Amino acid sequence: MCLGIPMQICEINGFVASCEAKGVFRDVSLFMMQDENLKVDDFVVVHVGYAIQKITSQEAQTAWELYDQMIAAD
Amino acid sequence: MTVTASQWLDRIRALPLESHVKIMNVCGGHERSITMAGLRSALPGNIELIPGPGCPVCICPEEDVYEAIQLALNENIILVAFGDMLRVPVNVRKSDTRTLAEAKARGADIRPIASPVEAVKIAKEHPEIPVVFFAAGFETTTAPVAAMLVEGVPANLFLLLSGRLTWPAVAMLLESGEAGFNALIAPGHVATVMGPEEWQFVVDAHNMPAAVAGFEPESLLAAMYSVLRQLTDGRYFLDNCYPALVREGGNRSARRQLEEAFVVEDANWRGVGSIANSGYIIADKYKAHDARRKYPNYASEARKRAGEMPPGCDCAGVVLGKIYPNECRLYGKACVPRNPIGPCMVSDEGACRIWWANGLRETAKPKI
Repeated sequence: MCLGIPMQICEINGFVASCEAKGVFRDVSLFMMQDENLKVDDFVVVHVGYAIQKITSQEAQTAWELYDQMIAAD
Repeated sequence: MTVTASQWLDRIRALPLESHVKIMNVCGGHERSITMAGLRSALPGNIELIPGPGCPVCICPEEDVYEAIQLALNENIILVAFGDMLRVPVNVRKSDTRTLAEAKARGADIRPIASPVEAVKIAKEHPEIPVVFFAAGFETTTAPVAAMLVEGVPANLFLLLSGRLTWPAVAMLLESGEAGFNALIAPGHVATVMGPEEWQFVVDAHNMPAAVAGFEPESLLAAMYSVLRQLTDGRYFLDNCYPALVREGGNRSARRQLEEAFVVEDANWRGVGSIANSGYIIADKYKAHDARRKYPNYASEARKRAGEMPPGCDCAGVVLGKIYPNECRLYGKACVPRNPIGPCMVSDEGACRIWWANGLRETAKPKI
Protein backbone atom coordinates (compact mmCIF):
# COMPACT_ATOMS: atom_id res chain seq x y z
CA MET A 1 0.00 0.00 0.00
CA CYS A 2 2.91 2.37 0.57
CA LEU A 3 4.05 2.25 -3.03
CA GLY A 4 4.47 5.64 -4.68
CA ILE A 5 4.27 6.05 -8.44
CA PRO A 6 6.09 8.93 -10.16
CA MET A 7 3.82 10.85 -12.56
CA GLN A 8 4.13 14.02 -14.63
CA ILE A 9 1.61 16.82 -14.27
CA CYS A 10 -0.18 17.64 -17.55
CA GLU A 11 -2.88 20.00 -16.33
CA ILE A 12 -3.89 21.58 -13.01
CA ASN A 13 -7.43 22.51 -11.97
CA GLY A 14 -7.53 23.64 -8.35
CA PHE A 15 -6.42 20.72 -6.21
CA VAL A 16 -6.81 18.20 -9.04
CA ALA A 17 -4.09 17.52 -11.59
CA SER A 18 -4.26 15.36 -14.66
CA CYS A 19 -1.05 13.33 -14.48
CA GLU A 20 0.61 10.91 -16.87
CA ALA A 21 2.92 7.95 -16.50
CA LYS A 22 3.76 5.50 -19.27
CA GLY A 23 0.92 6.82 -21.40
CA VAL A 24 -1.66 6.31 -18.63
CA PHE A 25 -3.53 9.40 -17.42
CA ARG A 26 -5.01 9.77 -13.94
CA ASP A 27 -6.60 12.53 -11.92
CA VAL A 28 -4.38 13.12 -8.90
CA SER A 29 -5.23 15.16 -5.80
CA LEU A 30 -2.76 17.92 -4.96
CA PHE A 31 -4.48 18.60 -1.63
CA MET A 32 -1.47 17.33 0.33
CA MET A 33 0.91 19.52 -1.70
CA GLN A 34 -0.27 22.94 -0.59
CA ASP A 35 3.20 23.96 0.59
CA GLU A 36 4.69 23.27 -2.87
CA ASN A 37 4.49 25.50 -5.90
CA LEU A 38 3.58 22.92 -8.53
CA LYS A 39 3.23 23.61 -12.23
CA VAL A 40 2.56 21.72 -15.45
CA ASP A 41 5.45 19.36 -16.44
CA ASP A 42 6.58 18.90 -12.82
CA PHE A 43 6.92 15.34 -11.49
CA VAL A 44 5.22 14.12 -8.32
CA VAL A 45 5.13 10.80 -6.46
CA VAL A 46 1.54 9.59 -6.23
CA HIS A 47 0.22 7.32 -3.50
CA VAL A 48 -3.44 6.16 -3.41
CA GLY A 49 -4.41 8.98 -5.76
CA TYR A 50 -2.67 11.78 -3.83
CA ALA A 51 0.63 13.47 -4.68
CA ILE A 52 2.84 13.11 -1.61
CA GLN A 53 6.07 14.78 -2.81
CA LYS A 54 7.62 16.63 -5.75
CA ILE A 55 10.62 14.99 -7.47
CA THR A 56 12.95 15.74 -10.36
CA SER A 57 12.54 14.14 -13.78
CA GLN A 58 15.77 12.20 -13.16
CA GLU A 59 14.40 10.77 -9.90
CA ALA A 60 11.15 9.85 -11.62
CA GLN A 61 13.09 7.98 -14.30
CA THR A 62 15.12 6.05 -11.71
CA ALA A 63 11.98 5.04 -9.83
CA TRP A 64 10.26 3.89 -13.00
CA GLU A 65 13.16 1.60 -13.83
CA LEU A 66 12.41 -0.25 -10.56
CA TYR A 67 8.68 -0.40 -11.22
CA ASP A 68 9.27 -1.73 -14.71
CA GLN A 69 11.17 -4.62 -13.13
CA MET A 70 8.37 -5.19 -10.60
CA ILE A 71 5.74 -5.23 -13.33
CA ALA A 72 7.84 -7.65 -15.38
CA ALA A 73 8.26 -9.88 -12.29
CA ASP A 74 4.49 -9.98 -11.69
CA MET B 1 28.42 10.07 -9.58
CA THR B 2 25.80 7.40 -9.05
CA VAL B 3 26.96 4.36 -7.11
CA THR B 4 25.60 1.13 -8.57
CA ALA B 5 24.17 -1.77 -6.57
CA SER B 6 27.23 -3.82 -7.40
CA GLN B 7 29.53 -1.09 -6.09
CA TRP B 8 27.51 -0.80 -2.88
CA LEU B 9 27.84 -4.56 -2.41
CA ASP B 10 31.62 -4.32 -2.88
CA ARG B 11 31.76 -1.57 -0.26
CA ILE B 12 29.69 -3.65 2.16
CA ARG B 13 31.93 -6.70 1.61
CA ALA B 14 34.99 -4.58 2.31
CA LEU B 15 33.74 -3.48 5.74
CA PRO B 16 35.59 -5.07 8.67
CA LEU B 17 32.47 -6.51 10.26
CA GLU B 18 33.50 -8.64 13.20
CA SER B 19 30.16 -9.97 14.34
CA HIS B 20 26.81 -11.13 13.05
CA VAL B 21 24.54 -8.15 12.25
CA LYS B 22 20.78 -8.14 11.97
CA ILE B 23 19.19 -5.27 10.06
CA MET B 24 15.44 -4.82 10.37
CA ASN B 25 13.22 -3.15 7.79
CA VAL B 26 9.69 -2.04 8.65
CA CYS B 27 8.18 -1.52 5.22
CA GLY B 28 6.54 -4.03 2.91
CA GLY B 29 7.88 -2.09 -0.06
CA HIS B 30 11.42 -2.49 1.25
CA GLU B 31 10.92 -6.19 1.84
CA ARG B 32 9.56 -6.56 -1.67
CA SER B 33 12.57 -4.84 -3.24
CA ILE B 34 15.04 -6.77 -1.06
CA THR B 35 13.47 -10.11 -1.92
CA MET B 36 12.92 -9.35 -5.59
CA ALA B 37 16.51 -8.18 -6.06
CA GLY B 38 17.85 -11.20 -4.14
CA LEU B 39 19.81 -8.96 -1.77
CA ARG B 40 19.86 -11.55 1.03
CA SER B 41 21.91 -14.01 -0.97
CA ALA B 42 24.14 -11.24 -2.35
CA LEU B 43 25.21 -10.00 1.08
CA PRO B 44 27.93 -11.60 3.22
CA GLY B 45 26.65 -14.46 5.38
CA ASN B 46 27.05 -12.54 8.63
CA ILE B 47 24.48 -9.93 7.60
CA GLU B 48 20.82 -10.80 8.11
CA LEU B 49 17.91 -8.79 6.76
CA ILE B 50 14.83 -9.13 8.92
CA PRO B 51 11.35 -8.09 7.76
CA GLY B 52 9.60 -6.38 10.69
CA PRO B 53 6.23 -4.71 11.26
CA GLY B 54 5.86 -3.23 7.78
CA CYS B 55 2.47 -4.43 6.62
CA PRO B 56 -0.59 -2.46 7.75
CA VAL B 57 -2.99 -5.09 6.44
CA CYS B 58 -1.25 -7.75 8.54
CA ILE B 59 -1.56 -5.87 11.82
CA CYS B 60 -5.06 -4.46 11.28
CA PRO B 61 -6.96 -5.68 14.35
CA GLU B 62 -9.08 -8.75 13.81
CA GLU B 63 -11.98 -7.02 15.59
CA ASP B 64 -11.87 -4.17 13.05
CA VAL B 65 -12.08 -6.56 10.09
CA TYR B 66 -14.90 -8.41 11.88
CA GLU B 67 -16.70 -5.11 12.49
CA ALA B 68 -16.42 -4.19 8.80
CA ILE B 69 -17.78 -7.60 7.75
CA GLN B 70 -20.72 -7.37 10.15
CA LEU B 71 -21.53 -3.79 9.13
CA ALA B 72 -21.52 -4.76 5.47
CA LEU B 73 -23.71 -7.81 6.09
CA ASN B 74 -26.27 -6.23 8.41
CA GLU B 75 -26.66 -2.58 7.45
CA ASN B 76 -27.99 -1.11 4.26
CA ILE B 77 -24.67 0.45 3.34
CA ILE B 78 -21.95 0.41 0.73
CA LEU B 79 -18.63 -0.59 2.27
CA VAL B 80 -15.47 0.46 0.47
CA ALA B 81 -11.94 -0.63 1.37
CA PHE B 82 -8.48 -0.86 -0.16
CA GLY B 83 -8.43 -4.10 -2.15
CA ASP B 84 -5.97 -5.94 0.12
CA MET B 85 -8.42 -5.83 3.01
CA LEU B 86 -11.06 -7.89 1.22
CA ARG B 87 -9.22 -11.19 1.65
CA VAL B 88 -8.06 -10.83 5.28
CA PRO B 89 -9.64 -13.65 7.30
CA VAL B 90 -11.14 -13.29 10.77
CA ASN B 91 -11.24 -16.02 13.38
CA VAL B 92 -14.69 -17.54 12.93
CA ARG B 93 -15.90 -20.98 11.93
CA LYS B 94 -15.45 -21.86 8.27
CA SER B 95 -19.22 -21.85 7.82
CA ASP B 96 -19.37 -18.21 8.95
CA THR B 97 -18.31 -15.22 6.88
CA ARG B 98 -14.52 -15.02 7.23
CA THR B 99 -13.60 -12.22 4.85
CA LEU B 100 -15.08 -9.13 3.25
CA ALA B 101 -14.80 -10.97 -0.07
CA GLU B 102 -17.04 -13.73 1.31
CA ALA B 103 -19.48 -11.10 2.62
CA LYS B 104 -19.55 -9.60 -0.88
CA ALA B 105 -20.28 -13.03 -2.35
CA ARG B 106 -23.15 -13.32 0.14
CA GLY B 107 -24.74 -10.15 -1.18
CA ALA B 108 -23.16 -7.33 0.81
CA ASP B 109 -22.36 -4.24 -1.25
CA ILE B 110 -18.58 -4.13 -0.83
CA ARG B 111 -16.38 -2.31 -3.31
CA PRO B 112 -12.59 -2.34 -3.50
CA ILE B 113 -11.08 1.09 -4.05
CA ALA B 114 -7.59 2.31 -4.85
CA SER B 115 -7.95 5.87 -3.54
CA PRO B 116 -9.92 7.86 -0.95
CA VAL B 117 -11.08 9.97 -3.92
CA GLU B 118 -13.07 6.94 -5.11
CA ALA B 119 -14.82 6.71 -1.73
CA VAL B 120 -15.96 10.34 -2.10
CA LYS B 121 -17.10 9.68 -5.67
CA ILE B 122 -19.17 6.63 -4.65
CA ALA B 123 -20.75 8.57 -1.75
CA LYS B 124 -21.70 11.41 -4.14
CA GLU B 125 -23.21 8.95 -6.62
CA HIS B 126 -25.38 7.37 -3.87
CA PRO B 127 -26.45 10.22 -1.58
CA GLU B 128 -29.30 8.14 -0.14
CA ILE B 129 -27.02 5.28 1.04
CA PRO B 130 -24.45 5.50 3.83
CA VAL B 131 -20.97 4.70 2.49
CA VAL B 132 -18.52 3.30 5.04
CA PHE B 133 -14.83 3.59 4.13
CA PHE B 134 -12.85 0.93 6.03
CA ALA B 135 -9.42 2.57 6.00
CA ALA B 136 -6.43 0.59 7.26
CA GLY B 137 -2.92 1.82 6.66
CA PHE B 138 0.25 3.34 8.00
CA GLU B 139 1.02 7.06 7.88
CA THR B 140 1.58 7.19 4.10
CA THR B 141 -1.94 5.91 3.47
CA THR B 142 -3.65 7.49 6.47
CA ALA B 143 -2.46 10.97 5.46
CA PRO B 144 -4.47 10.92 2.20
CA VAL B 145 -7.49 9.76 4.22
CA ALA B 146 -7.00 12.79 6.47
CA ALA B 147 -6.66 15.01 3.40
CA MET B 148 -9.93 13.60 2.09
CA LEU B 149 -11.75 14.53 5.33
CA VAL B 150 -10.20 17.99 5.59
CA GLU B 151 -11.02 18.80 1.96
CA GLY B 152 -14.64 17.92 2.66
CA VAL B 153 -16.72 14.79 2.16
CA PRO B 154 -20.45 14.16 1.54
CA ALA B 155 -22.67 13.77 4.63
CA ASN B 156 -23.25 10.09 3.83
CA LEU B 157 -19.53 9.13 3.97
CA PHE B 158 -18.33 7.52 7.20
CA LEU B 159 -14.87 6.36 8.13
CA LEU B 160 -14.06 3.08 9.88
CA LEU B 161 -10.48 4.02 10.63
CA SER B 162 -7.67 1.58 11.41
CA GLY B 163 -4.75 3.90 10.77
CA ARG B 164 -1.47 3.13 12.53
CA LEU B 165 1.87 4.82 13.12
CA THR B 166 4.98 2.81 12.30
CA TRP B 167 7.59 4.13 14.71
CA PRO B 168 5.76 3.17 17.95
CA ALA B 169 5.98 -0.51 16.94
CA VAL B 170 9.75 -0.20 16.55
CA ALA B 171 9.93 1.68 19.86
CA MET B 172 7.95 -1.12 21.50
CA LEU B 173 10.33 -3.75 20.09
CA LEU B 174 13.40 -1.80 21.22
CA GLU B 175 11.98 -1.16 24.67
CA SER B 176 11.10 -4.83 25.09
CA GLY B 177 14.78 -5.66 25.51
CA GLU B 178 14.37 -8.45 22.95
CA ALA B 179 14.50 -6.42 19.76
CA GLY B 180 16.54 -9.03 17.90
CA PHE B 181 18.22 -6.56 15.54
CA ASN B 182 21.29 -4.29 15.59
CA ALA B 183 20.33 -1.67 13.03
CA LEU B 184 17.21 -0.23 11.41
CA ILE B 185 16.26 0.65 7.84
CA ALA B 186 13.50 3.23 8.23
CA PRO B 187 10.58 3.39 5.76
CA GLY B 188 11.05 5.83 2.90
CA HIS B 189 7.52 6.89 2.18
CA VAL B 190 6.50 7.13 5.82
CA ALA B 191 9.49 9.47 6.27
CA THR B 192 8.48 11.37 3.12
CA VAL B 193 5.19 12.28 4.76
CA MET B 194 6.16 12.47 8.45
CA GLY B 195 9.80 13.57 8.17
CA PRO B 196 12.91 11.53 8.97
CA GLU B 197 13.13 13.05 12.46
CA GLU B 198 10.56 10.53 13.73
CA TRP B 199 13.33 7.90 13.63
CA GLN B 200 15.94 9.86 15.54
CA PHE B 201 14.87 8.07 18.74
CA VAL B 202 16.43 4.84 17.45
CA VAL B 203 19.84 6.50 17.65
CA ASP B 204 19.28 8.75 20.66
CA ALA B 205 17.31 6.46 22.97
CA HIS B 206 18.62 3.07 21.87
CA ASN B 207 22.12 3.78 20.61
CA MET B 208 21.44 2.00 17.33
CA PRO B 209 22.31 3.03 13.76
CA ALA B 210 19.42 3.91 11.47
CA ALA B 211 19.03 4.99 7.86
CA VAL B 212 16.00 5.97 5.80
CA ALA B 213 15.92 4.11 2.49
CA GLY B 214 14.07 4.36 -0.78
CA PHE B 215 12.92 1.41 -2.81
CA GLU B 216 15.56 0.93 -5.47
CA PRO B 217 18.21 -1.67 -4.57
CA GLU B 218 20.83 1.11 -4.73
CA SER B 219 19.03 3.13 -2.06
CA LEU B 220 18.47 0.08 0.15
CA LEU B 221 22.11 -0.99 -0.21
CA ALA B 222 23.26 2.57 0.54
CA ALA B 223 21.22 2.47 3.75
CA MET B 224 22.62 -0.98 4.63
CA TYR B 225 26.15 0.25 3.99
CA SER B 226 25.44 3.30 6.14
CA VAL B 227 24.25 1.36 9.19
CA LEU B 228 27.01 -1.25 8.82
CA ARG B 229 29.66 1.48 8.49
CA GLN B 230 28.18 3.17 11.56
CA LEU B 231 28.55 -0.11 13.45
CA THR B 232 32.17 -0.60 12.39
CA ASP B 233 33.03 3.05 13.12
CA GLY B 234 31.16 3.07 16.42
CA ARG B 235 29.50 6.39 15.55
CA TYR B 236 25.74 6.21 15.19
CA PHE B 237 23.44 8.69 13.49
CA LEU B 238 20.25 8.82 11.44
CA ASP B 239 21.21 8.80 7.77
CA ASN B 240 18.90 9.86 4.96
CA CYS B 241 19.57 7.59 1.97
CA TYR B 242 16.39 8.69 0.17
CA PRO B 243 16.96 12.44 -0.22
CA ALA B 244 14.97 12.49 -3.48
CA LEU B 245 11.76 12.37 -1.44
CA VAL B 246 12.63 12.56 2.25
CA ARG B 247 13.11 16.13 3.41
CA GLU B 248 13.43 17.74 6.81
CA GLY B 249 10.00 18.02 8.42
CA GLY B 250 8.39 15.76 5.82
CA ASN B 251 5.31 16.91 3.94
CA ARG B 252 4.07 19.73 6.16
CA SER B 253 0.64 20.04 4.50
CA ALA B 254 0.03 16.35 5.02
CA ARG B 255 1.12 16.50 8.66
CA ARG B 256 -1.17 19.49 9.35
CA GLN B 257 -4.09 17.62 7.80
CA LEU B 258 -3.35 14.50 9.86
CA GLU B 259 -3.27 16.61 13.03
CA GLU B 260 -6.53 18.32 12.15
CA ALA B 261 -8.48 15.19 11.23
CA PHE B 262 -7.17 12.60 13.67
CA VAL B 263 -5.96 12.13 17.23
CA VAL B 264 -3.20 9.69 18.21
CA GLU B 265 -4.04 7.11 20.89
CA ASP B 266 -2.91 3.71 22.13
CA ALA B 267 -4.07 1.08 19.65
CA ASN B 268 -4.31 -2.65 19.16
CA TRP B 269 -2.14 -4.43 16.56
CA ARG B 270 -3.15 -7.90 15.42
CA GLY B 271 -0.70 -10.44 16.71
CA VAL B 272 1.06 -7.86 18.83
CA GLY B 273 -1.39 -6.30 21.29
CA SER B 274 -1.75 -2.69 22.35
CA ILE B 275 1.05 -0.28 21.44
CA ALA B 276 1.25 3.14 23.06
CA ASN B 277 0.44 6.14 20.83
CA SER B 278 0.28 4.01 17.70
CA GLY B 279 -3.22 4.52 16.33
CA TYR B 280 -5.25 7.27 14.71
CA ILE B 281 -8.83 7.99 15.78
CA ILE B 282 -11.14 10.58 14.27
CA ALA B 283 -11.01 14.03 15.91
CA ASP B 284 -14.21 15.47 17.39
CA LYS B 285 -14.36 18.04 14.60
CA TYR B 286 -15.08 15.22 12.14
CA LYS B 287 -17.13 12.97 14.45
CA ALA B 288 -20.15 13.22 12.13
CA HIS B 289 -18.13 11.05 9.72
CA ASP B 290 -17.04 8.45 12.27
CA ALA B 291 -18.58 5.07 11.43
CA ARG B 292 -17.91 3.89 14.99
CA ARG B 293 -20.15 6.65 16.34
CA LYS B 294 -22.86 6.10 13.73
CA TYR B 295 -22.89 2.33 14.23
CA PRO B 296 -21.78 1.87 17.86
CA ASN B 297 -23.33 -1.58 18.27
CA TYR B 298 -20.78 -3.29 16.05
CA ALA B 299 -17.74 -2.66 18.21
CA SER B 300 -17.41 -5.68 20.45
CA GLU B 301 -15.16 -5.49 23.48
CA ALA B 302 -15.34 -9.28 23.64
CA ARG B 303 -13.57 -9.55 20.29
CA LYS B 304 -10.58 -7.50 21.40
CA ARG B 305 -8.43 -10.53 22.02
CA ALA B 306 -5.07 -8.90 21.78
CA GLY B 307 -2.56 -10.97 19.90
CA GLU B 308 -5.08 -13.04 18.05
CA MET B 309 -4.02 -14.61 14.78
CA PRO B 310 -5.72 -17.64 13.20
CA PRO B 311 -4.99 -20.97 14.95
CA GLY B 312 -1.63 -22.43 13.93
CA CYS B 313 -0.59 -19.23 12.17
CA ASP B 314 2.74 -17.63 13.07
CA CYS B 315 2.02 -14.24 11.49
CA ALA B 316 2.58 -12.65 14.90
CA GLY B 317 6.17 -13.91 14.93
CA VAL B 318 6.67 -12.83 11.32
CA VAL B 319 5.29 -9.33 11.95
CA LEU B 320 7.61 -8.83 14.92
CA GLY B 321 10.63 -10.16 13.06
CA LYS B 322 10.97 -13.07 15.45
CA ILE B 323 10.81 -15.69 12.70
CA TYR B 324 11.20 -15.69 8.93
CA PRO B 325 8.05 -16.42 6.88
CA ASN B 326 9.19 -19.89 5.87
CA GLU B 327 9.71 -20.89 9.49
CA CYS B 328 5.92 -20.86 9.99
CA ARG B 329 4.58 -24.41 9.92
CA LEU B 330 1.72 -23.35 7.62
CA TYR B 331 3.89 -21.50 5.06
CA GLY B 332 3.41 -22.98 1.63
CA LYS B 333 1.41 -25.89 3.01
CA ALA B 334 -2.00 -24.88 4.33
CA CYS B 335 -1.24 -21.19 3.75
CA VAL B 336 -0.59 -19.95 0.20
CA PRO B 337 -1.67 -16.74 -1.57
CA ARG B 338 -4.61 -18.48 -3.21
CA ASN B 339 -5.86 -19.74 0.16
CA PRO B 340 -4.29 -17.57 2.86
CA ILE B 341 -4.67 -18.48 6.51
CA GLY B 342 -2.85 -15.52 8.00
CA PRO B 343 -2.87 -11.89 6.89
CA CYS B 344 0.88 -11.93 6.02
CA MET B 345 0.02 -14.21 3.08
CA VAL B 346 -2.79 -11.90 1.91
CA SER B 347 -1.25 -8.51 1.37
CA ASP B 348 1.31 -7.55 -1.27
CA GLU B 349 3.18 -6.03 1.65
CA GLY B 350 2.99 -9.13 3.83
CA ALA B 351 6.38 -10.82 4.21
CA CYS B 352 4.92 -14.31 3.60
CA ARG B 353 3.21 -13.24 0.39
CA ILE B 354 6.35 -11.45 -0.82
CA TRP B 355 8.58 -14.46 -0.14
CA TRP B 356 6.17 -16.87 -1.78
CA ALA B 357 5.61 -14.63 -4.81
CA ASN B 358 9.37 -14.46 -5.31
CA GLY B 359 9.77 -18.22 -5.38
CA LEU B 360 10.96 -18.89 -1.83
CA ARG B 361 9.27 -22.23 -1.39
CA GLU B 362 11.53 -24.14 0.99
CA THR B 363 10.99 -24.21 4.71
CA ALA B 364 14.17 -22.80 6.20
CA LYS B 365 16.18 -23.57 9.24
CA PRO B 366 15.44 -21.05 11.98
CA LYS B 367 17.96 -18.22 11.86
CA ILE B 368 16.47 -15.24 13.63
